[in-house]
Amino acid sequence: MKSHDLVGGLVWIGLGIYLCIGSIKLGLGELHNPGPGFVPFLSAAILGLWGAILMTFAILKKLDGGEKSNDKRTWVKENWKGFVSTLAALFGYGILLDRLGFLITTFGFLFFLFKITDPKGWKIPLMVSGLTTILSYLLFSVWLQGAFPKGIFRF
Amino acid sequence: MTGFLENLSLGVHVALTASNLLYCFVGVFLGTLIGVLPGIGPTGTIAILLPVTYGISPVSAIIMLAGIYYGSQYGGSTTSILVNIPGEAASVVTCLDGYQMARQGRAGPALGIAAYSSFIAGTIGVFILMFLAKPLAEVAIKFGPAEYFSLMILGLAVLTYLSHGSMIKAVIMATLGVSLSQIGMDIVSGQLRFTFGMANLEDGIGLIPLVMGIFGVGEVLANLEESNDFEILKAKIKGVFPNLKDLMDSVGAIIRGTFLGFFLGILPGGGVVISSFVSYAVEKKVSKHPERFGMGAIEGVAGPESANNAATAGAFIPLFTLGIPSNAVMALLLGALMIHGLGPGPFLISEHPEIFWGTIMSMYIGNIFLLVLNLPLIGLWVKLLKTPYRFLFPLILFFCIIGSYSVNNNIFDVFVMFIFGIVGYLFKKFRYEPAPLIMAFILGPMLETALRQSLRISMGSFEIFFSGPISVSCLIIALFLLLSPIFFKKRRQMVRKMS
Repeated sequence: MKSHDLVGGLVWIGLGIYLCIGSIKLGLGELHNPGPGFVPFLSAAILGLWGAILMTFAILKKLDGGEKSNDKRTWVKENWKGFVSTLAALFGYGILLDRLGFLITTFGFLFFLFKITDPKGWKIPLMVSGLTTILSYLLFSVWLQGAFPKGIFRF
Repeated sequence: MTGFLENLSLGVHVALTASNLLYCFVGVFLGTLIGVLPGIGPTGTIAILLPVTYGISPVSAIIMLAGIYYGSQYGGSTTSILVNIPGEAASVVTCLDGYQMARQGRAGPALGIAAYSSFIAGTIGVFILMFLAKPLAEVAIKFGPAEYFSLMILGLAVLTYLSHGSMIKAVIMATLGVSLSQIGMDIVSGQLRFTFGMANLEDGIGLIPLVMGIFGVGEVLANLEESNDFEILKAKIKGVFPNLKDLMDSVGAIIRGTFLGFFLGILPGGGVVISSFVSYAVEKKVSKHPERFGMGAIEGVAGPESANNAATAGAFIPLFTLGIPSNAVMALLLGALMIHGLGPGPFLISEHPEIFWGTIMSMYIGNIFLLVLNLPLIGLWVKLLKTPYRFLFPLILFFCIIGSYSVNNNIFDVFVMFIFGIVGYLFKKFRYEPAPLIMAFILGPMLETALRQSLRISMGSFEIFFSGPISVSCLIIALFLLLSPIFFKKRRQMVRKMS
């Protein structure tokens, strides 16, 4: 158990309490006729309870002197640009798909991601993104009849 | 017997249609591919391809998705042997002796025995599945809601027990999964639950955006931080046919691995992974030369590879007979059946024999495809292993987007996937195992229905769960599994103090 389990435990307790209150508002019903909030209440209570157990173990470990952390996790140190760009690209795809349509958004999304990981070259990112866009359009839109937005340019 | 032969012939007929042969091939090919490629597993791939199956028949869909599952077990061993990186969790143990064999210039026999043992075990596993599933389904018909509820609780308890890392976190994941499954309209009262006034949440959170987010996007975000460059053995691979001594050394391991794997595969929760580890331990135990294990013993490859492939067949038993998935992949297959309007459970085999027998027969054929794909085409898979991750991850993300979007043609699902991608990344960082969450998310509505029905039947008495032998046994085992780490920890601490 690491110190972040303390925070984790608190999050689960908080979420458990919030869901318990929400479930009570929904109506727990009677035992012979459980209401819509009955099962959500039970699961939320168990969630909060196990969150408390997680937190207790983390506190006990701390009081005990704690184990030397051999946690080698990297927190987006080396490739933080790639990480942030990937999140931005995903979010951007969601925002732009309806406006720009499948073809332009997909090409832009793939090109952006290929380019940030290979900043020197242009040819390969252009070719791979172009080819993937066309093939995926043929596969998902033409063959599988998926209804993808055409966007303001109508293609 | 006549009925059995009739069903068998129906299965052969279904599996041998041109389209089903094609879907079977596509499934095992994709399975091998994702087994070889690091960064995407069968759960993510099946989730991505679920929407693709909307337009095809349910039996074709299950044939293809099942092919991905057992195909990935074959592919996973290739990376274990050649790169010392398991393509799948079930191939971790193959690294121990497989990679050592490759370093000693015996990559060919290692790959060969992995493929042959997988083939033999996969085929025998399917054979046992064929005989066991129907009688079990007949027993399952007698189950009431209380038995179903207790069985599902047992399934979740086993999955959390077998999860990697902290069991407390695994239980938290399972309860969070149940809580997430409650979002949307209550099926009994029609009341909206935790929708925050959003119309898009009235049908609940979609399974596919959730799985894609956690297993696809979350995995990619975590992998972006790590170096994915690894050294591939440069030596030429030759002689994929093991010699007579190799075969004699392996035959016992294959037989033991097959039966062990199949029956451990039936257990809910990660039977495939656990079976490969147990098989390795058994082989080491029965070997006259246990010191060779870890130094390139061929039994150390043959046993676990047989076990993990037989376990994939065993994992179908609870799905086909009870409608209860034994792991996250089976949970997605359950989702696929439900998407196609089929009610998985004990009646599936009798009401839709073409699905069960067609899938079984396709698994025989798939195993033959896999043998052909994995031995002569080994060079192709090695080349694919060299694909840099920077070329793979944009494509994985793109398929995740397409998969999420095409479920309802709704951009809201893409944002749901995005959010669960970040959540999945955090889970990975804080070492929360997502598999119990997915399984609980799928079982959640069934669990709720079974609990509410049981309480109604018993007029609000919890005794109903303790009155039948099946229900009470399941609950006792589940309780034991959930509490056992506390006792074992105490025992460990006691031993430490004593020493």
